[in-house]
Amino acid sequence: MEILLGNLSRMEGAKVGTQLIVAYYRQLFGLDRPLYIQYFLFLRNVIFRGLDFGPSFMAYPNTARDLIFHQLPWTLGLFTGAMLISWLLGTIIGVFMGWLRRHKLTSLMTGITVLLQATPNYLLAIILIIYVGYLLKWLPPYGPYDNGLQPAFTWEFIHSLLLHMVLPMLSLVLVLGAGWAISMRSLMISILGEDYLLYAKARGLLPFEILKDYAFRNAMLPQLAALAITLGTTLTGTYIIEVIFHVPGLGDLFIRALGFRDYNVLQGIVLFSIFAVLTASLIIDLILPLLDPRIREFNE
Amino acid sequence: MSNAKLISGICLLSFLIILAITGPAIAKAMFPNENALGIGAYPRYEPPSIKHPIGTDAGGVDAFALVLNSIWPSMVIGLLAGVTATFLGVIVGFTAGYIGKNVDTILRTFTDMVLVFPVLPLFLMMGTYITHWDLFKMSMLLGVFGWPFTARVIRAQVLSLRERPYIDLVKLSGENTFEIIFFELLPGLLPYVGFSLAMGTVGAMFTEAGLQLIGLGAQNLSTLGAMIGHGLSRGVIGIGLYGQMVVPAGILILLFLSLNLINMGLEEVFNPRLRTKIDVK
Repeated sequence: MEILLGNLSRMEGAKVGTQLIVAYYRQLFGLDRPLYIQYFLFLRNVIFRGLDFGPSFMAYPNTARDLIFHQLPWTLGLFTGAMLISWLLGTIIGVFMGWLRRHKLTSLMTGITVLLQATPNYLLAIILIIYVGYLLKWLPPYGPYDNGLQPAFTWEFIHSLLLHMVLPMLSLVLVLGAGWAISMRSLMISILGEDYLLYAKARGLLPFEILKDYAFRNAMLPQLAALAITLGTTLTGTYIIEVIFHVPGLGDLFIRALGFRDYNVLQGIVLFSIFAVLTASLIIDLILPLLDPRIREFNE
Repeated sequence: MSNAKLISGICLLSFLIILAITGPAIAKAMFPNENALGIGAYPRYEPPSIKHPIGTDAGGVDAFALVLNSIWPSMVIGLLAGVTATFLGVIVGFTAGYIGKNVDTILRTFTDMVLVFPVLPLFLMMGTYITHWDLFKMSMLLGVFGWPFTARVIRAQVLSLRERPYIDLVKLSGENTFEIIFFELLPGLLPYVGFSLAMGTVGAMFTEAGLQLIGLGAQNLSTLGAMIGHGLSRGVIGIGLYGQMVVPAGILILLFLSLNLINMGLEEVFNPRLRTKIDVK
């Protein structure tokens, strides 16, 4: 912000009265105070004034908070949706990949998941755009919904929205799901080596019962923990996808704000990202003891 | 060591490295008397033909020659960043794990702090401020934020190795700390170091390509990601020059695949339970 106003005053320095305007804005944004006071003021505004990040520069007089909240649903929807779908699919596939690990189909599946998991989601996105969007013309390649439609609860809008979201979702779900499947598979395999499974088998339990009550339940714990961690850390992972598909989410806002050097908006988004990570790790710390009796008993 | 994943990963990676090294020479051989990389060497946006397998780009440069010349910088960035990250991670991990106590607490907190850093937004911001990117700066920056994971893995291993009886024996026989760390502990951790190196390389290349893709990376570097990014911003998909997107993307994917295979292979080497071959009836 300093730099921005500094440039302004130098550029327009010759004109009468500009210095006054600069001084006015410095006071408005609190730039006449020392840096550490500015930081405390920023914290106070964020905590006690309802996430007040200050006004946005590029869309003045709209506040940065309004801009962020306006675009947040897109990111949250896209990301949380993709995360949950991929986790469910990946876990289920992974369980069977671990259970039937000597089956021929399974090794094929493993190969596919390894390839998918190694692919960065944005590269998959480009390939999907080219093949599904342009060559096959099955789905619209980019944009949040059809041009000329207004967000509303009409069938036309929802239909168009869903169609446009398939490709971004797909590029996230395929990559994330493959990762979940692989981790679930190795969890299953490592549990299949445990002695209590041998014992369960010796007691004559049905394979399905062993899978459900003995292997699956134990393999679930790390997988659930991983979900909570990933929910926080990869929120920024959708930013590039948003930019590629022109989805008006936080990533899109971030890039635009960068172009305008809109510090308040940038600070807000970064704070949100960090906040998401910390919330997720708090939730996981609270939930894990409920699921895993071992942690509850020993209390670390 | 008969590990299919590790071996196929190494084979694929060596093939790509050879392609990266010989790439510029191949490009030269394809266009013997012309400067295929010069701006405006050919008409712009030429459709694919025998002379230009995937057409020419917005600057009139043969895209295939550009791909061949871009693999090496991409790899070097990843590798430099990976080495930096691994180096930092190993140092922090060993210090925290071996000295323990307060040092461990401080270093662990610091590691966790860096770990939750939203790296992508940070890099996006830096991308707009640092005007003169070069290969070295880019990889150092990527490396500086890539070490926490390594540090955690190494620390956990050092903690458990430190308590082994053979370390007590070594201490009794009079080796000093330096010798213990480098001759007794480190060799046992080499698979982990290799694993971290591959992880760091993948992470760095992933971030670099992602930055380039949205046009905020190092503009003057010719990496595969930069090529895809330029293509995206000039809209080459819209005019049907799909090859210019698919070929660099495909090579990047293969590169990631090979490193991931090596990673999984190494994981199986030090965690025998993951091996599918072992029969557990």
